[in-house]
Amino acid sequence: MHPENEKYIELSAADFPRKCAEYSRRHFLRTMFAADERELDGYFRVYAVFSPMGEDRFDILTMKLREDALAYGSITPLVPAAHWYEREMRDMFGIIPEGHPDPRPLCLHGIYGDVYPLRRDVTTDDIKKSVDFSREDGYFFMRVKGEGVYEIPVGPVHAGIIEPGHFRFSAVGETIYHLDPRLFFTHKGTEKLFESRGFENGVELAERISGVSSFSHSSAYCMAVERMAGMDISPRAKAVRTLVIELERLYNHIGDIGNMCAGTGFALGYAKGAILKESLMALNARLTGSRYLRGINVIGGVTRDVFDAADDVISTLDGVKTGFKHFMEFLLDSISHIERLEGTGLLSREIALKMGATGPAARASGISDDIRRAHPHLSYGSLIFEAHTYQKGDVYSRMMVRREEAECSFSIIDSLIERRHEGELRMPAGKFPAGGSALGYTEGPRGSVFYWIKASGDGSPLRVKVRSASFCNWPLVSYAIHGNIVPDFPLVNKSFNLSYSGCDL
Amino acid sequence: MLKQIILNLFGKKPALGRDAIRAMSGDVAGEPGASGPARLDAVFKRSIRIRQVDAGSCNACEWECTALGNPIYDVSRFGIDFTASPRHADVILVTGPVSLGMAGALKKTYLAMPEPKIVIACGDCAKDGGVYRGAYGVLDGAAAVVPVDGYIPGCPPNPAEIMKCIMDILESAAK
Ligand code: SF4
Repeated sequence: MHPENEKYIELSAADFPRKCAEYSRRHFLRTMFAADERELDGYFRVYAVFSPMGEDRFDILTMKLREDALAYGSITPLVPAAHWYEREMRDMFGIIPEGHPDPRPLCLHGIYGDVYPLRRDVTTDDIKKSVDFSREDGYFFMRVKGEGVYEIPVGPVHAGIIEPGHFRFSAVGETIYHLDPRLFFTHKGTEKLFESRGFENGVELAERISGVSSFSHSSAYCMAVERMAGMDISPRAKAVRTLVIELERLYNHIGDIGNMCAGTGFALGYAKGAILKESLMALNARLTGSRYLRGINVIGGVTRDVFDAADDVISTLDGVKTGFKHFMEFLLDSISHIERLEGTGLLSREIALKMGATGPAARASGISDDIRRAHPHLSYGSLIFEAHTYQKGDVYSRMMVRREEAECSFSIIDSLIERRHEGELRMPAGKFPAGGSALGYTEGPRGSVFYWIKASGDGSPLRVKVRSASFCNWPLVSYAIHGNIVPDFPLVNKSFNLSYSGCDL
Repeated sequence: MLKQIILNLFGKKPALGRDAIRAMSGDVAGEPGASGPARLDAVFKRSIRIRQVDAGSCNACEWECTALGNPIYDVSRFGIDFTASPRHADVILVTGPVSLGMAGALKKTYLAMPEPKIVIACGDCAKDGGVYRGAYGVLDGAAAVVPVDGYIPGCPPNPAEIMKCIMDILESAAK
């Protein structure tokens, strides 16, 4: 009993890598994760979620592993996009992907002892007890050898008001030869926390996975729970969610275009972007009571009908639309700014595809993939819009994709407001079936967001897997920055605008 | 470009006045930089430098701090600025529940600041862990690592609230 577009394919550990390689040729790898299902059937399980290009279906390859034989052949050499997922499973469950090219831990820093936090028999106390702040961190950075190569360590605390992470640049003169990012400083144990909360109380946590993607995360989470429980929320609730997701995209995209100006030291551009963003944030607060669109999603629907304030939406967005048009004209006329963007931070289509890029970063490199179109959900099935792609993969392309998508969001909101949407705002939550599972997903401002949830024997959460867009895109920054100069790093980084918290969990 | 500069010189200023900020944050006791925090002025000479440290937040709190610098709130009007180096900082503004990975960096930042130093915990999760309270990877608030002088409630507090609370906390710390 799975949602209609989910197809589970059971494989042996021996067949798993080969099959994954086969699927990866015509499918996108959406997410990959493990679950400790020993309480249900005595096994650990690994899942790899693929979706065929151009079809609304998820082919979920899965294999079970016995507790005393937790190794399988790594798929990373064949499916490079799996590289972080497999390291994550190794850290969190002790499942060994044999032959993985990178032996380093990913999520758990050296202060953690020998524990596998997401195993169900490991308690929060066990994990806390294993922690030793004085333990040597055995982590090593990848080195570039040769004459004149020097390393620049940056972070975890950065100069600006941003999130923490460490970047190790290997440079010759100003040119970056390699960037080795080390993240997961903000790892909080969020997935385990979900398990102790009950599905209904997970919403407020999903809203706080990543600040400026609050609504896409809570929507994907609610969708997963609703699909698992077989609930079909009303067209009205769907329309509210759709509209609010587009509002989230708008304030992000416009804000991001403004923030890129900070990357080139273009203060006036930055200030103009910030003013536009601020009027969208104020609209968010008036509509939902939260500048970050929190507290509106609940399991079974939404708490407010934003269409009641349609006049406010229309008049505010009219102003922002005009302001944004002038802002873009102004930016595109500013040669000194645009010249810094063109040809900077190139991400080739080939690498973006192989490494599993998502969102504007993928579309700016010529990959036409948008979850709103690939897997129509909420009201998206009845709306007509395009996936906006650029071919070049530079900072400029990432800006232009955002610009076109922002314009598209304006028109999506317009057409939603023109229609009537019937039904209850919120339906009562059904029962959560024992052992049930489902995917939830949406296209957030940074790219696809996936949740996979599974209930235990008593209907409480056994596993909540969060896959943020940033988890996919972080490794790409190293490719994009290769061969650029050190001062362009902030700019390139801003053109991806990735979340640390959403990645580190 | 020239047109823009001229427009900005003579055009409408978007920045909110004190009254507007007061309205947005409820009740702003004492106007920032005006007669209210006189003692504050005596100590900090109307120049306050803040080092913001994200200790595992969801990032919404930082975005609200960033917004303080935008033309709408523009806190530098009141002599408040965010600084890159802890050596230049009077105040450390901590966000996040303090993830285990950030505990050491937060402590180091605090130790690098010159005296007198004031610690403000911004947001519910910096207060007591907030929504993350009880997760294995957090210390349930900034006070586990640094001595906190004051809290800013909210998840996230909006920019006007952050500004008001900073002024209040600094004022009582200066007493
Ligand atoms: S207080 Fe709330 S908004 Fe601020 S960092 Fe914590 S969870 Fe995010």
